[in-house]
Amino acid sequence: MIDITQNPVSTATPKVRFSPRRVWTLAMATVTQLIRMKILAFLVLFCLLAAGAGFAFSVINPEQQLNLLKSVTLGALQIFSIVIGVVSTALLLPKDLEDRTLYTILSKPVPRFDYLLGKLLGVLLLIGGGLIVMDVVLSLVLWLRQTMLLDSYVASLRLENMDSPEALAQVREIVAKQGLTWNLHWAVWAIFLKAAVVTTVALLLSSIASSTLFTIVITFCVTIIGHGESLIREFFFRPYLSSLAGRSAAFVLAALCPDLAQFDIVDSVVNGETVPWGAIYDMTGIAALYMTVYLFVTHLLFVEKEL
Amino acid sequence: MPDTPAVIVNHLTKVFKGPLGKGAFRAVHDLSLQVKSGEVYGLIGPNGSGKSTTMKAVLGLLKPTEGSTSIFGIPSTEVSSRHSVGFLPENPYFYKHLTGRETLHFYGSLCDMRGEKLKTRVNEMLALTGLEDAATRRVGGYSKGMLQRLGLAQALIHEPRLLVLDEPTAGVDPAGSRIIRDLIIEFRTRGITVLVTSHLLEQMQEVCDRVGIMAHGRMVREGRLQDLIAVGNQTEMVLENASPELQEKIKALVQAEGGNTRLLRSGQPRTTLERLFIEAANEPKKP
Repeated sequence: MIDITQNPVSTATPKVRFSPRRVWTLAMATVTQLIRMKILAFLVLFCLLAAGAGFAFSVINPEQQLNLLKSVTLGALQIFSIVIGVVSTALLLPKDLEDRTLYTILSKPVPRFDYLLGKLLGVLLLIGGGLIVMDVVLSLVLWLRQTMLLDSYVASLRLENMDSPEALAQVREIVAKQGLTWNLHWAVWAIFLKAAVVTTVALLLSSIASSTLFTIVITFCVTIIGHGESLIREFFFRPYLSSLAGRSAAFVLAALCPDLAQFDIVDSVVNGETVPWGAIYDMTGIAALYMTVYLFVTHLLFVEKEL
Repeated sequence: MPDTPAVIVNHLTKVFKGPLGKGAFRAVHDLSLQVKSGEVYGLIGPNGSGKSTTMKAVLGLLKPTEGSTSIFGIPSTEVSSRHSVGFLPENPYFYKHLTGRETLHFYGSLCDMRGEKLKTRVNEMLALTGLEDAATRRVGGYSKGMLQRLGLAQALIHEPRLLVLDEPTAGVDPAGSRIIRDLIIEFRTRGITVLVTSHLLEQMQEVCDRVGIMAHGRMVREGRLQDLIAVGNQTEMVLENASPELQEKIKALVQAEGGNTRLLRSGQPRTTLERLFIEAANEPKKP
């Protein structure tokens, strides 16, 4: 016989505390759900396109070619990570509610904060995993491209009898600067941080929104506004530019939207500039702060939500 | 605390506010009820009578506007109250990408179960609900009856003392419905308290110890089922293999008794359509 209640009169009811293991369970379920929703297939396709793009540009000069390759792929990575983050997050919460899966989860001893954190972590793991794969592919493509370009350029210099040691050293320096460096990985890290902040905003909005479309549209609006925070601040701090109402609106937008320009180091990396450690620390800290604040507000809203 | 009621609903009122605070709707009005430990309590009523809202308040999914609810003495607003309760919502859907076994593993992990204990419990629940053969199939391919049984299995995974079942047989065929009914009876024999809502009143009559009838957000009748449905001035006798002569003798006796005693009806009792369906469905397949 199967014992359904092995301890039917047990009255020792432990307090439910935050559990990293429970959060991990929810995160893993979210990752599996997203992977089986063919998100991974999209990622593989994207990898192949990016790899193909590395060999598709017409020959200009090595510097421009490598520049273009990085610019296109890093730009695509930014779009990919933000779209995946926003759409996944906007879909997951309302779907759980609509399917009543949320009822079965929250009627277990699961604090609502654990649920929220698990969902967020799941989406971030997927984005992070995707970006690591893309980083590896991009690094490989960039290294191959820079080796091929260097070889062909050196060969052409030799053909024209212009292969003086100084000229060769100059070419190698240019290619090395524009080729595979640690800066590429920092650019991918910055892309992840930006996507993580936007995903947390999407989570906040989906906890109060009644439709997925609303969450997606508003999050993309916030993302666009977030890239223009400096303009908004300028608008606010210069009274002669606008009326009181306009300045008030600017203040509200500046206060609510994250300053996503803080994570824009892609252009510098594309131009071959070195990213200082201080900038990486600052970006990471700012992202952590934004995420903490947005997650806290999300929790306050979600804990009061009527299911 | 064996005498602590499994569920206490104390003057519960729930008002849903409309957009911008307008058009408020009172779903439950000053409702009080108690579910004793170990009994099967049926909450019945027409659509929109407030049954599901009451259940959600008991489970802490909704906050009462007024009043309170508790599970085994712990307020429903505390997450720890959910250690003792398993919930099967109406028409549940689970993550379609998981198999039945993975689904139970997921819910067990949420309840801090792990290792061999979790594995054993998952196997037990699959066996109890008859889903062993479908354990490795994705939930997306499950029939409605199988989903309900999986819902029961997940509700029981952490060994709760109280089961809350919202329309457990909704959309399930009579055979599947009978399996769920039998499971509820099994739960009662094992000391699990059950709070159940259903529109299938015949089934509720078969499994419930007590019922509460709700209408317009209020409790309009409540009590032991036998007390509520008994017709006080009538007596029923069912005879097997009674000869026509014996039947005539009984009729004559009743007539001879006189006074207010009357024989209202006699004849062959009919089986229910549900029983007929199950008998027919269970007949061996003809070659």
